[in-house]
Amino acid sequence: MLNTFQQKRHAMLPETTHDESSRQEFVKSFKQYVQNRMLPNLFPAYSAQLAQFKKQHDRLPKDRREIRKIMVGDPGFRTYASANRISQELLWESVLTSIERQLPDLNSKAKSFSAASSAELLIDPDFETPRYVTALDIHCMPGGYAGEVCEGDVSTGALYDRGVYLYAMGYMGPHNDDLGRSVCNYVKRNLPGFTPKNILDMGCTVGHSTLPFKEAFPEAEVTGIDVAAPQLRYAHARAKALGAEVSFQQRDAANTGYEDNSFDLIVSHILLHETSGKAMPQIFKECHRILKPGGVMIHADLPPFDHSDLFSEFILDNETYYNNEPFWGPMRDMDQIQLAMDAGFTADQIAFDQAPMAILEFAAAHEKGYEEDAVAAVADREYEAGEFAPGGGWEVLIAHKSKEAGGAA
Amino acid sequence: MSDPTVARYSKGKRPEFYADPAMDEAMSMIMVLCSELFVLRERLDTFEAIAAEKGVMLSDEIDSYEPTQELAEQREARKQEFFDRLFYVANKRAAELATQDTSGRYESVLKSIAEE
Repeated sequence: MLNTFQQKRHAMLPETTHDESSRQEFVKSFKQYVQNRMLPNLFPAYSAQLAQFKKQHDRLPKDRREIRKIMVGDPGFRTYASANRISQELLWESVLTSIERQLPDLNSKAKSFSAASSAELLIDPDFETPRYVTALDIHCMPGGYAGEVCEGDVSTGALYDRGVYLYAMGYMGPHNDDLGRSVCNYVKRNLPGFTPKNILDMGCTVGHSTLPFKEAFPEAEVTGIDVAAPQLRYAHARAKALGAEVSFQQRDAANTGYEDNSFDLIVSHILLHETSGKAMPQIFKECHRILKPGGVMIHADLPPFDHSDLFSEFILDNETYYNNEPFWGPMRDMDQIQLAMDAGFTADQIAFDQAPMAILEFAAAHEKGYEEDAVAAVADREYEAGEFAPGGGWEVLIAHKSKEAGGAA
Repeated sequence: MSDPTVARYSKGKRPEFYADPAMDEAMSMIMVLCSELFVLRERLDTFEAIAAEKGVMLSDEIDSYEPTQELAEQREARKQEFFDRLFYVANKRAAELATQDTSGRYESVLKSIAEE
Protein backbone atom coordinates (compact mmCIF):
# COMPACT_ATOMS: atom_id res chain seq x y z
CA MET A 1 0.00 0.00 0.00
CA LEU A 2 1.33 3.45 -0.94
CA ASN A 3 0.00 6.10 1.40
CA THR A 4 -0.45 9.41 -0.40
CA PHE A 5 -3.21 10.69 1.93
CA GLN A 6 -3.31 14.49 2.09
CA GLN A 7 -4.71 16.91 4.62
CA LYS A 8 -7.23 19.25 3.05
CA ARG A 9 -6.12 22.88 3.16
CA HIS A 10 -8.29 25.35 5.03
CA ALA A 11 -7.77 29.03 5.70
CA MET A 12 -6.46 28.61 9.28
CA LEU A 13 -3.89 25.94 8.42
CA PRO A 14 -0.37 27.42 8.27
CA GLU A 15 0.90 27.66 4.73
CA THR A 16 4.00 25.69 3.78
CA THR A 17 6.80 26.41 1.36
CA HIS A 18 7.88 23.68 -1.00
CA ASP A 19 10.72 22.61 1.35
CA GLU A 20 8.61 22.75 4.52
CA SER A 21 6.03 20.61 2.82
CA SER A 22 8.68 18.14 1.60
CA ARG A 23 10.13 17.93 5.11
CA GLN A 24 6.68 17.20 6.55
CA GLU A 25 5.93 14.60 3.90
CA PHE A 26 9.28 12.97 4.62
CA VAL A 27 8.34 12.57 8.29
CA LYS A 28 4.98 11.11 7.34
CA SER A 29 6.67 8.61 5.02
CA PHE A 30 9.20 7.82 7.73
CA LYS A 31 6.42 7.11 10.24
CA GLN A 32 4.72 4.84 7.73
CA TYR A 33 8.00 2.97 7.30
CA VAL A 34 8.50 2.65 11.07
CA GLN A 35 5.00 1.16 11.37
CA ASN A 36 5.07 -1.09 8.29
CA ARG A 37 8.64 -2.28 8.22
CA MET A 38 10.43 -1.65 11.52
CA LEU A 39 7.66 -2.58 13.96
CA PRO A 40 7.30 -6.18 12.67
CA ASN A 41 11.05 -6.64 13.29
CA LEU A 42 10.28 -6.63 17.01
CA PHE A 43 8.55 -10.00 16.90
CA PRO A 44 11.58 -12.09 15.87
CA ALA A 45 13.75 -9.96 18.15
CA TYR A 46 11.47 -10.81 21.07
CA SER A 47 11.40 -14.51 20.21
CA ALA A 48 15.18 -14.63 20.47
CA GLN A 49 15.26 -12.68 23.75
CA LEU A 50 12.42 -14.80 25.13
CA ALA A 51 14.22 -18.07 24.42
CA GLN A 52 17.20 -16.81 26.37
CA PHE A 53 14.98 -15.60 29.23
CA LYS A 54 13.23 -18.98 29.48
CA LYS A 55 16.56 -20.77 29.55
CA GLN A 56 17.80 -18.55 32.39
CA HIS A 57 14.63 -18.36 34.50
CA ASP A 58 12.64 -21.44 33.48
CA ARG A 59 9.44 -19.38 33.20
CA LEU A 60 7.75 -16.70 31.07
CA PRO A 61 7.95 -12.95 31.83
CA LYS A 62 5.23 -12.04 34.31
CA ASP A 63 4.17 -8.64 32.97
CA ARG A 64 4.91 -5.93 30.39
CA ARG A 65 7.42 -4.26 32.72
CA GLU A 66 9.53 -7.39 32.85
CA ILE A 67 9.41 -7.60 29.04
CA ARG A 68 10.65 -4.00 28.93
CA LYS A 69 13.69 -5.01 31.00
CA ILE A 70 14.40 -7.84 28.54
CA MET A 71 13.95 -5.70 25.45
CA VAL A 72 15.58 -2.32 26.20
CA GLY A 73 19.02 -3.63 25.34
CA ASP A 74 17.97 -5.52 22.22
CA PRO A 75 19.60 -3.95 19.14
CA GLY A 76 16.46 -4.35 17.02
CA PHE A 77 14.30 -2.73 19.66
CA ARG A 78 16.75 0.13 20.07
CA THR A 79 16.66 0.90 16.39
CA TYR A 80 12.87 0.79 16.29
CA ALA A 81 12.32 2.83 19.44
CA SER A 82 14.98 5.37 18.58
CA ALA A 83 13.65 5.79 15.01
CA ASN A 84 10.10 6.16 16.33
CA ARG A 85 11.17 8.84 18.79
CA ILE A 86 13.18 10.70 16.14
CA SER A 87 10.21 10.63 13.75
CA GLN A 88 8.11 12.25 16.48
CA GLU A 89 10.72 14.98 17.04
CA LEU A 90 11.17 15.66 13.34
CA LEU A 91 7.40 15.81 12.96
CA TRP A 92 6.97 18.76 15.33
CA GLU A 93 10.12 20.44 14.08
CA SER A 94 8.92 20.26 10.48
CA VAL A 95 5.68 22.05 11.38
CA LEU A 96 7.12 24.57 13.86
CA THR A 97 9.28 26.20 11.21
CA SER A 98 6.25 27.14 9.13
CA ILE A 99 4.25 28.30 12.17
CA GLU A 100 6.94 30.54 13.59
CA ARG A 101 7.32 32.24 10.22
CA GLN A 102 3.60 33.07 10.09
CA LEU A 103 2.82 33.47 13.78
CA PRO A 104 1.66 37.09 14.02
CA ASP A 105 -0.52 36.68 10.91
CA LEU A 106 -1.91 33.37 12.11
CA ASN A 107 -3.06 34.90 15.38
CA SER A 108 -4.74 37.85 13.73
CA LYS A 109 -6.36 35.58 11.16
CA ALA A 110 -7.81 33.47 13.99
CA LYS A 111 -9.16 36.64 15.62
CA SER A 112 -10.93 37.70 12.40
CA PHE A 113 -12.52 34.29 11.80
CA SER A 114 -13.68 34.11 15.42
CA ALA A 115 -15.16 37.59 15.27
CA ALA A 116 -17.18 36.54 12.19
CA SER A 117 -18.66 33.48 13.93
CA SER A 118 -22.02 33.69 15.64
CA ALA A 119 -21.10 30.77 17.94
CA GLU A 120 -19.52 31.46 21.31
CA LEU A 121 -15.80 31.27 22.10
CA LEU A 122 -15.42 31.20 25.88
CA ILE A 123 -11.92 31.68 27.28
CA ASP A 124 -11.77 31.81 31.08
CA PRO A 125 -8.94 34.15 32.20
CA ASP A 126 -8.91 32.55 35.68
CA PHE A 127 -8.83 28.97 34.42
CA GLU A 128 -6.32 26.68 36.10
CA THR A 129 -4.88 24.15 33.67
CA PRO A 130 -4.72 20.66 35.23
CA ARG A 131 -1.22 19.45 35.99
CA TYR A 132 -1.66 16.35 33.83
CA VAL A 133 -1.56 18.69 30.82
CA THR A 134 1.31 20.92 31.97
CA ALA A 135 3.74 18.51 33.74
CA LEU A 136 5.05 17.02 30.48
CA ASP A 137 4.52 18.16 26.89
CA ILE A 138 2.21 15.30 25.85
CA HIS A 139 3.36 13.36 22.79
CA CYS A 140 6.49 15.52 22.83
CA MET A 141 4.68 18.47 21.24
CA PRO A 142 6.83 21.51 22.11
CA GLY A 143 4.79 23.95 24.19
CA GLY A 144 2.20 21.29 25.02
CA TYR A 145 -1.52 21.83 24.46
CA ALA A 146 -1.75 24.93 26.59
CA GLY A 147 1.52 26.73 25.82
CA GLU A 148 1.13 30.37 24.80
CA VAL A 149 3.92 32.60 23.53
CA CYS A 150 1.87 35.80 23.18
CA GLU A 151 -1.62 37.15 23.77
CA GLY A 152 -4.40 35.48 21.78
CA ASP A 153 -1.92 32.81 20.69
CA VAL A 154 -3.12 29.89 18.52
CA SER A 155 0.29 28.47 17.61
CA THR A 156 0.02 25.19 19.52
CA GLY A 157 -3.48 24.72 18.02
CA ALA A 158 -2.04 25.10 14.53
CA LEU A 159 0.83 22.80 15.49
CA TYR A 160 -1.62 20.17 16.71
CA ASP A 161 -3.80 20.42 13.59
CA ARG A 162 -0.94 19.74 11.19
CA GLY A 163 0.79 17.40 13.67
CA VAL A 164 -2.21 15.10 13.93
CA TYR A 165 -2.32 14.69 10.17
CA LEU A 166 1.36 13.71 10.13
CA TYR A 167 1.20 11.56 13.28
CA ALA A 168 -1.86 9.72 11.98
CA MET A 169 -0.27 9.57 8.49
CA GLY A 170 -3.56 10.84 7.07
CA TYR A 171 -5.51 7.85 8.46
CA MET A 172 -7.75 10.40 10.20
CA GLY A 173 -8.90 11.80 6.86
CA PRO A 174 -8.51 15.11 5.03
CA HIS A 175 -9.94 16.99 8.02
CA ASN A 176 -8.40 14.76 10.71
CA ASP A 177 -11.95 13.87 11.68
CA ASP A 178 -12.20 10.11 11.16
CA LEU A 179 -12.71 9.50 14.88
CA GLY A 180 -15.63 11.93 15.14
CA ARG A 181 -17.11 10.69 11.87
CA SER A 182 -16.81 7.07 12.96
CA VAL A 183 -18.56 7.81 16.26
CA CYS A 184 -21.33 9.72 14.41
CA ASN A 185 -21.81 6.77 12.07
CA TYR A 186 -21.88 4.49 15.08
CA VAL A 187 -24.59 6.56 16.78
CA LYS A 188 -26.70 6.72 13.62
CA ARG A 189 -26.40 2.99 12.89
CA ASN A 190 -26.67 1.63 16.41
CA LEU A 191 -29.05 4.05 18.10
CA PRO A 192 -31.89 4.40 15.56
CA GLY A 193 -34.34 7.14 16.45
CA PHE A 194 -31.84 8.84 18.78
CA THR A 195 -31.65 12.50 17.71
CA PRO A 196 -29.59 14.39 20.30
CA LYS A 197 -30.42 18.09 20.62
CA ASN A 198 -27.51 19.03 22.88
CA ILE A 199 -24.15 17.45 22.18
CA LEU A 200 -20.95 17.95 24.20
CA ASP A 201 -17.48 16.98 22.96
CA MET A 202 -15.03 16.77 25.88
CA GLY A 203 -11.31 17.40 25.36
CA CYS A 204 -12.03 18.66 21.85
CA THR A 205 -8.63 20.37 21.21
CA VAL A 206 -8.96 21.99 17.75
CA GLY A 207 -12.39 20.48 17.09
CA HIS A 208 -11.36 17.75 14.62
CA SER A 209 -13.93 15.33 16.03
CA THR A 210 -16.43 18.01 17.08
CA LEU A 211 -17.43 19.29 13.64
CA PRO A 212 -18.73 15.93 12.29
CA PHE A 213 -21.45 16.04 14.98
CA LYS A 214 -22.72 19.37 13.62
CA GLU A 215 -22.73 17.82 10.15
CA ALA A 216 -24.49 14.62 11.28
CA PHE A 217 -26.98 16.42 13.56
CA PRO A 218 -27.42 19.88 11.99
CA GLU A 219 -30.32 20.78 14.26
CA ALA A 220 -28.34 20.04 17.41
CA GLU A 221 -26.43 22.53 19.53
CA VAL A 222 -22.86 21.24 19.52
CA THR A 223 -20.28 22.42 22.06
CA GLY A 224 -16.61 21.52 22.38
CA ILE A 225 -14.77 21.97 25.69
CA ASP A 226 -11.08 21.76 26.46
CA VAL A 227 -8.62 22.95 29.10
CA ALA A 228 -6.23 24.59 26.61
CA ALA A 229 -7.02 28.12 25.42
CA PRO A 230 -4.80 28.11 22.27
CA GLN A 231 -6.52 24.91 21.08
CA LEU A 232 -9.97 26.44 21.61
CA ARG A 233 -9.12 29.70 19.86
CA TYR A 234 -7.81 27.77 16.89
CA ALA A 235 -10.81 25.40 16.98
CA HIS A 236 -13.28 28.28 16.90
CA ALA A 237 -11.47 29.97 14.00
CA ARG A 238 -10.94 26.71 12.12
CA ALA A 239 -14.65 25.84 12.40
CA LYS A 240 -15.59 29.20 10.90
CA ALA A 241 -12.96 28.77 8.17
CA LEU A 242 -14.63 25.46 7.32
CA GLY A 243 -18.07 27.08 7.35
CA ALA A 244 -19.26 25.64 10.69
CA GLU A 245 -20.57 27.56 13.67
CA VAL A 246 -19.74 25.56 16.76
CA SER A 247 -19.28 26.85 20.29
CA PHE A 248 -15.95 26.21 22.02
CA GLN A 249 -15.52 26.75 25.75
CA GLN A 250 -12.62 26.52 28.19
CA ARG A 251 -13.86 24.08 30.80
CA ASP A 252 -12.49 21.09 32.70
CA ALA A 253 -14.29 17.84 31.76
CA ALA A 254 -14.02 16.73 35.38
CA ASN A 255 -15.83 19.83 36.63
CA THR A 256 -17.66 21.51 33.74
CA GLY A 257 -19.87 23.93 35.63
CA TYR A 258 -22.88 22.87 33.52
CA GLU A 259 -26.23 22.27 35.16
CA ASP A 260 -27.51 18.75 35.86
CA ASN A 261 -29.28 17.03 32.93
CA SER A 262 -27.90 19.36 30.22
CA PHE A 263 -26.90 17.05 27.38
CA ASP A 264 -28.41 14.23 25.29
CA LEU A 265 -25.04 13.03 24.04
CA ILE A 266 -21.57 13.43 25.54
CA VAL A 267 -18.59 12.21 23.56
CA SER A 268 -14.82 12.28 23.88
CA HIS A 269 -12.14 11.19 21.44
CA ILE A 270 -8.68 10.07 22.62
CA LEU A 271 -9.14 12.21 25.74
CA LEU A 272 -9.18 9.80 28.69
CA HIS A 273 -5.65 8.45 28.29
CA GLU A 274 -4.31 12.01 28.49
CA THR A 275 -5.95 12.74 31.86
CA SER A 276 -5.00 11.25 35.25
CA GLY A 277 -5.88 8.57 37.77
CA LYS A 278 -8.09 10.95 39.73
CA ALA A 279 -9.48 13.04 36.85
CA MET A 280 -10.75 10.08 34.81
CA PRO A 281 -13.25 8.69 37.37
CA GLN A 282 -14.35 12.28 38.03
CA ILE A 283 -15.01 12.78 34.28
CA PHE A 284 -17.26 9.70 34.25
CA LYS A 285 -19.17 11.09 37.25
CA GLU A 286 -19.48 14.48 35.61
CA CYS A 287 -20.81 12.86 32.41
CA HIS A 288 -23.49 11.07 34.40
CA ARG A 289 -24.43 14.25 36.25
CA ILE A 290 -24.79 16.50 33.18
CA LEU A 291 -26.40 13.87 30.92
CA LYS A 292 -30.17 14.04 30.62
CA PRO A 293 -32.00 10.87 31.73
CA GLY A 294 -31.85 8.52 28.72
CA GLY A 295 -28.76 10.36 27.46
CA VAL A 296 -25.68 8.60 26.06
CA MET A 297 -21.98 8.85 26.91
CA ILE A 298 -19.41 7.61 24.39
CA HIS A 299 -15.65 7.69 24.98
CA ALA A 300 -13.54 6.66 22.00
CA ASP A 301 -10.19 5.72 23.47
CA LEU A 302 -8.09 2.76 24.49
CA PRO A 303 -9.68 -0.41 25.90
CA PRO A 304 -8.19 -1.81 29.13
CA PHE A 305 -5.35 -4.33 28.90
CA ASP A 306 -6.70 -7.85 29.33
CA HIS A 307 -3.19 -9.30 29.90
CA SER A 308 -3.74 -11.95 27.19
CA ASP A 309 -0.84 -10.67 25.11
CA LEU A 310 1.89 -9.19 27.28
CA PHE A 311 4.23 -8.46 24.38
CA SER A 312 1.59 -6.31 22.66
CA GLU A 313 1.03 -4.54 25.97
CA PHE A 314 4.75 -3.85 26.16
CA ILE A 315 4.77 -2.38 22.62
CA LEU A 316 1.72 -0.22 23.30
CA ASP A 317 3.24 0.95 26.56
CA ASN A 318 6.21 2.43 24.68
CA GLU A 319 4.10 5.57 24.37
CA THR A 320 4.18 5.90 28.15
CA TYR A 321 7.96 5.89 28.29
CA TYR A 322 9.07 7.36 24.98
CA ASN A 323 6.33 9.75 23.93
CA ASN A 324 5.54 11.74 27.08
CA GLU A 325 2.22 9.96 27.63
CA PRO A 326 2.41 9.35 31.40
CA PHE A 327 -1.15 8.01 31.73
CA TRP A 328 -1.23 5.83 28.58
CA GLY A 329 -0.25 2.58 30.30
CA PRO A 330 -1.85 3.21 33.74
CA MET A 331 -5.16 4.16 32.06
CA ARG A 332 -5.29 0.77 30.37
CA ASP A 333 -4.94 -0.96 33.73
CA MET A 334 -8.12 0.73 35.00
CA ASP A 335 -11.50 -1.03 34.94
CA GLN A 336 -13.54 1.41 32.87
CA ILE A 337 -16.79 -0.55 33.20
CA GLN A 338 -16.44 -0.34 36.99
CA LEU A 339 -15.66 3.38 36.77
CA ALA A 340 -18.85 3.93 34.77
CA MET A 341 -20.82 1.92 37.34
CA ASP A 342 -19.29 3.97 40.16
CA ALA A 343 -20.41 7.08 38.28
CA GLY A 344 -24.01 5.92 38.36
CA PHE A 345 -24.48 4.02 35.07
CA THR A 346 -26.06 0.59 35.51
CA ALA A 347 -24.03 -2.48 34.53
CA ASP A 348 -26.33 -3.63 31.72
CA GLN A 349 -26.14 -0.15 30.13
CA ILE A 350 -22.33 -0.08 29.74
CA ALA A 351 -20.39 -1.80 26.97
CA PHE A 352 -17.23 -1.73 24.89
CA ASP A 353 -17.79 -1.83 21.14
CA GLN A 354 -16.00 -0.96 17.92
CA ALA A 355 -16.91 1.93 15.63
CA PRO A 356 -15.69 1.06 12.10
CA MET A 357 -13.30 3.67 10.63
CA ALA A 358 -14.93 6.14 8.25
CA ILE A 359 -11.79 6.17 6.08
CA LEU A 360 -13.48 4.43 3.11
CA GLU A 361 -15.76 7.45 2.81
CA PHE A 362 -12.78 9.64 1.91
CA ALA A 363 -11.98 7.61 -1.20
CA ALA A 364 -15.68 7.60 -2.11
CA ALA A 365 -15.64 11.41 -1.87
CA HIS A 366 -12.53 11.52 -4.13
CA GLU A 367 -10.43 13.30 -1.52
CA LYS A 368 -6.87 14.04 -2.61
CA GLY A 369 -4.48 11.15 -2.05
CA TYR A 370 -7.16 8.82 -0.66
CA GLU A 371 -6.84 6.09 -3.27
CA GLU A 372 -9.32 3.24 -3.01
CA ASP A 373 -6.76 0.44 -2.55
CA ALA A 374 -4.88 2.39 0.12
CA VAL A 375 -7.96 3.20 2.24
CA ALA A 376 -9.21 -0.37 1.84
CA ALA A 377 -5.85 -1.62 3.11
CA VAL A 378 -6.23 0.57 6.22
CA ALA A 379 -9.85 -0.40 6.81
CA ASP A 380 -9.32 -4.14 6.35
CA ARG A 381 -5.90 -4.73 7.84
CA GLU A 382 -4.99 -7.20 10.56
CA TYR A 383 -3.96 -4.98 13.43
CA GLU A 384 -0.60 -5.33 15.11
CA ALA A 385 0.05 -3.66 18.44
CA GLY A 386 1.88 -0.38 17.94
CA GLU A 387 0.21 0.53 14.67
CA PHE A 388 -1.78 3.72 14.51
CA ALA A 389 -5.50 2.95 15.06
CA PRO A 390 -6.86 -0.52 15.67
CA GLY A 391 -7.65 -2.78 12.71
CA GLY A 392 -10.42 -1.05 10.84
CA GLY A 393 -12.17 0.48 13.84
CA TRP A 394 -12.00 2.63 16.94
CA GLU A 395 -12.76 1.30 20.41
CA VAL A 396 -15.72 2.99 22.08
CA LEU A 397 -17.01 2.76 25.62
CA ILE A 398 -20.74 3.45 25.47
CA ALA A 399 -23.08 3.96 28.43
CA HIS A 400 -26.74 4.99 28.63
CA LYS A 401 -28.00 7.00 31.57
CA SER A 402 -31.15 5.39 32.90
CA LYS A 403 -34.38 7.18 31.95
CA GLU A 404 -35.39 7.18 35.60
CA ALA A 405 -32.08 8.60 36.83
CA GLY A 406 -32.10 11.85 38.71
CA GLY A 407 -29.56 14.66 38.40
CA ALA A 408 -26.70 15.04 40.83
CA ALA A 409 -25.48 11.89 42.52
CA MET B 1 8.67 44.34 19.79
CA SER B 2 10.22 41.29 18.20
CA ASP B 3 8.05 38.55 16.72
CA PRO B 4 7.04 35.81 19.15
CA THR B 5 9.03 32.58 18.95
CA VAL B 6 7.54 29.13 19.54
CA ALA B 7 8.86 26.44 21.89
CA ARG B 8 11.21 24.05 20.06
CA TYR B 9 11.80 21.38 22.73
CA SER B 10 9.14 19.33 24.49
CA LYS B 11 9.12 19.30 28.27
CA GLY B 12 10.08 15.78 29.46
CA LYS B 13 13.45 13.99 29.65
CA ARG B 14 14.37 12.46 26.32
CA PRO B 15 15.01 8.69 26.64
CA GLU B 16 18.36 7.37 25.43
CA PHE B 17 18.18 4.19 23.41
CA TYR B 18 21.86 3.31 23.04
CA ALA B 19 24.68 2.57 25.48
CA ASP B 20 26.59 5.53 24.10
CA PRO B 21 24.56 8.77 23.98
CA ALA B 22 26.58 9.79 20.95
CA MET B 23 24.80 7.04 19.03
CA ASP B 24 21.44 8.62 19.83
CA GLU B 25 22.75 11.89 18.48
CA ALA B 26 24.11 10.19 15.38
CA MET B 27 20.80 8.45 14.63
CA SER B 28 18.95 11.73 14.78
CA MET B 29 21.54 13.45 12.61
CA ILE B 30 21.34 10.70 10.03
CA MET B 31 17.57 10.98 9.79
CA VAL B 32 17.71 14.75 9.46
CA LEU B 33 20.23 14.34 6.66
CA CYS B 34 17.96 11.83 4.97
CA SER B 35 15.09 14.26 5.24
CA GLU B 36 17.07 17.09 3.67
CA LEU B 37 18.25 14.82 0.90
CA PHE B 38 14.65 14.15 -0.07
CA VAL B 39 13.64 17.79 0.29
CA LEU B 40 16.37 18.65 -2.19
CA ARG B 41 15.55 15.78 -4.48
CA GLU B 42 11.90 16.77 -4.59
CA ARG B 43 12.71 20.40 -5.20
CA LEU B 44 14.85 19.42 -8.16
CA ASP B 45 12.13 17.11 -9.46
CA THR B 46 9.63 19.96 -9.24
CA PHE B 47 12.00 22.46 -10.79
CA GLU B 48 12.99 20.36 -13.75
CA ALA B 49 9.43 19.21 -14.36
CA ILE B 50 8.07 22.77 -14.43
CA ALA B 51 10.92 23.97 -16.65
CA ALA B 52 10.52 21.05 -19.03
CA GLU B 53 6.79 21.79 -19.30
CA LYS B 54 7.80 25.26 -20.48
CA GLY B 55 10.31 23.85 -22.95
CA VAL B 56 13.42 24.90 -20.98
CA MET B 57 16.10 22.28 -20.48
CA LEU B 58 18.16 23.43 -17.50
CA SER B 59 21.04 21.02 -17.01
CA ASP B 60 23.58 22.97 -19.18
CA GLU B 61 22.89 26.31 -17.50
CA ILE B 62 23.13 24.81 -14.01
CA ASP B 63 26.75 23.79 -14.60
CA SER B 64 27.87 27.31 -15.52
CA TYR B 65 25.87 29.30 -12.97
CA GLU B 66 27.63 31.70 -10.49
CA PRO B 67 25.53 32.58 -7.38
CA THR B 68 24.94 36.26 -6.62
CA GLN B 69 25.92 37.71 -3.20
CA GLU B 70 22.25 37.64 -2.17
CA LEU B 71 21.93 33.96 -3.02
CA ALA B 72 25.24 33.18 -1.32
CA GLU B 73 23.91 34.78 1.89
CA GLN B 74 20.63 32.89 1.64
CA ARG B 75 22.53 29.65 1.27
CA GLU B 76 24.69 30.32 4.31
CA ALA B 77 21.66 31.20 6.47
CA ARG B 78 19.92 28.04 5.30
CA LYS B 79 22.93 25.94 6.30
CA GLN B 80 23.08 27.49 9.78
CA GLU B 81 19.39 26.69 10.31
CA PHE B 82 20.08 23.19 9.05
CA PHE B 83 22.74 22.70 11.73
CA ASP B 84 20.18 23.64 14.41
CA ARG B 85 18.04 20.74 13.24
CA LEU B 86 21.03 18.43 12.82
CA PHE B 87 22.18 18.92 16.42
CA TYR B 88 18.66 18.72 17.87
CA VAL B 89 19.44 16.03 20.46
CA ALA B 90 22.56 17.66 21.79
CA ASN B 91 20.71 20.97 22.07
CA LYS B 92 17.73 19.37 23.81
CA ARG B 93 20.06 17.69 26.32
CA ALA B 94 21.56 21.07 27.12
CA ALA B 95 18.09 22.57 27.50
CA GLU B 96 17.13 19.75 29.90
CA LEU B 97 20.24 20.38 31.97
CA ALA B 98 19.42 24.07 32.03
CA THR B 99 15.87 23.44 33.28
CA GLN B 100 16.57 20.37 35.50
CA ASP B 101 14.14 18.31 33.37
CA THR B 102 15.47 14.95 34.58
CA SER B 103 14.46 11.28 34.35
CA GLY B 104 13.80 11.52 38.11
CA ARG B 105 11.21 14.22 37.42
CA TYR B 106 9.69 12.12 34.60
CA GLU B 107 9.36 9.12 36.96
CA SER B 108 7.73 11.23 39.65
CA VAL B 109 5.23 12.66 37.14
CA LEU B 110 4.42 9.15 35.92
CA LYS B 111 3.68 8.12 39.50
CA SER B 112 1.88 11.23 40.63
CA ILE B 113 -0.30 11.63 37.51
CA ALA B 114 -1.67 8.11 37.96
CA GLU B 115 -2.45 8.89 41.57
CA GLU B 116 -3.82 12.43 41.42
